[in-house]
Amino acid sequence: MEAGASYQRFPKVKVRELKDDYLKFELRDTDASVANALRRVMIAEVPTIAIDLVEIEVNSSVLNDEFIAHRLGLIPLTSERAMSMRFSRDCDACDGDGQCEFCSVEFHLRAKCMTDQTLDVTSKDLISSDHTVVPVDFSDALGGDDSSEQKGITIVKLRRGQELRLRAIARKGIGKDHAKWSPAATVTFMYEPEIHINEDLMETLSLEQRQSWVESSPTKVFEMDPNTEQVVVIDPEAYTYDDEVIKKAEAMGKPGLVEIYAKEDSFIFTVESTGAIKSSQLVVNAIEVLKQKLDAVRLSEDTVEADDQFGELGAHMRGG
Amino acid sequence: MDPPPEPVSYICGDCGMENTLKPGDVIQCRECGYRILYKKRTRRIIQYEAR
Repeated sequence: MEAGASYQRFPKVKVRELKDDYLKFELRDTDASVANALRRVMIAEVPTIAIDLVEIEVNSSVLNDEFIAHRLGLIPLTSERAMSMRFSRDCDACDGDGQCEFCSVEFHLRAKCMTDQTLDVTSKDLISSDHTVVPVDFSDALGGDDSSEQKGITIVKLRRGQELRLRAIARKGIGKDHAKWSPAATVTFMYEPEIHINEDLMETLSLEQRQSWVESSPTKVFEMDPNTEQVVVIDPEAYTYDDEVIKKAEAMGKPGLVEIYAKEDSFIFTVESTGAIKSSQLVVNAIEVLKQKLDAVRLSEDTVEADDQFGELGAHMRGG
Repeated sequence: MDPPPEPVSYICGDCGMENTLKPGDVIQCRECGYRILYKKRTRRIIQYEAR
């Protein structure tokens, strides 16, 4: 490393679209390693709360006990509190049996079908001991009046005489341990493309040639301006790095008609949440988790504090 | 320490009679002599990991 060289950068975030369960944002002035670290932390290391232990009292349903236990584990629970909760393995106030407010939440489920009509046991039948940790409610998010989301997530169906009675304990965890704790449905990022059309070369094309070149792109990246008859880029982000337009230009005998680069320091993120935490909170928590990991590196025994890289890494994460 | 083990009950595959069996017993219905018995679910709570 060159003495005195600074690698400090000031990443910028610009939010494009924000909904409770969806977020699209730009991340600029940083590199792929940071972007990918952020993506991976969002998927596997941001904590949530999920059912981890099930004590079944009665189960005369058609599904076996372990099948129901597994289904219960996969139900997303509102997890705003997860960041400040303890992992039950390092909670010293209790043994993680559901009685401790710091590390676990208790749920009860009692359902019995008494009629000839099939009874749907759903996530809404789960009674929580803590009003801040409840099964995620999708009903108003979709605006459907009598959609299936209104009823919650189906756990099992019961016919006359069948019964299900259980106690479940939800604990804090991370997606790396089990996917049920992942707060992310999908997190993706793409490199922002930079598209340059060689105008001089484009001039040499006939109207039909231009039209067929525009149409060679599988996604709508280019368009013919009806007035000026010029090819214009309408949506660079629709480009999927498929190289079709480049191949088409070569096939037409016009190599270099368009040049497309991936900007190596600009990323477009799409984040979808399971509903356990808001998508915006997911990003904020991911950055917090990343910072904690950097602190762990800085404070570890064999870290040479004098190495000025660490100061810069921290500054990079804080954005200045 | 542990309470004495509850006798396990079985249902006869032929007549439906409920039988209780202890270790070492012959697996046979007391009522009809049928040799296929079905074990009943325990009334105790069973614990599972939700994974």
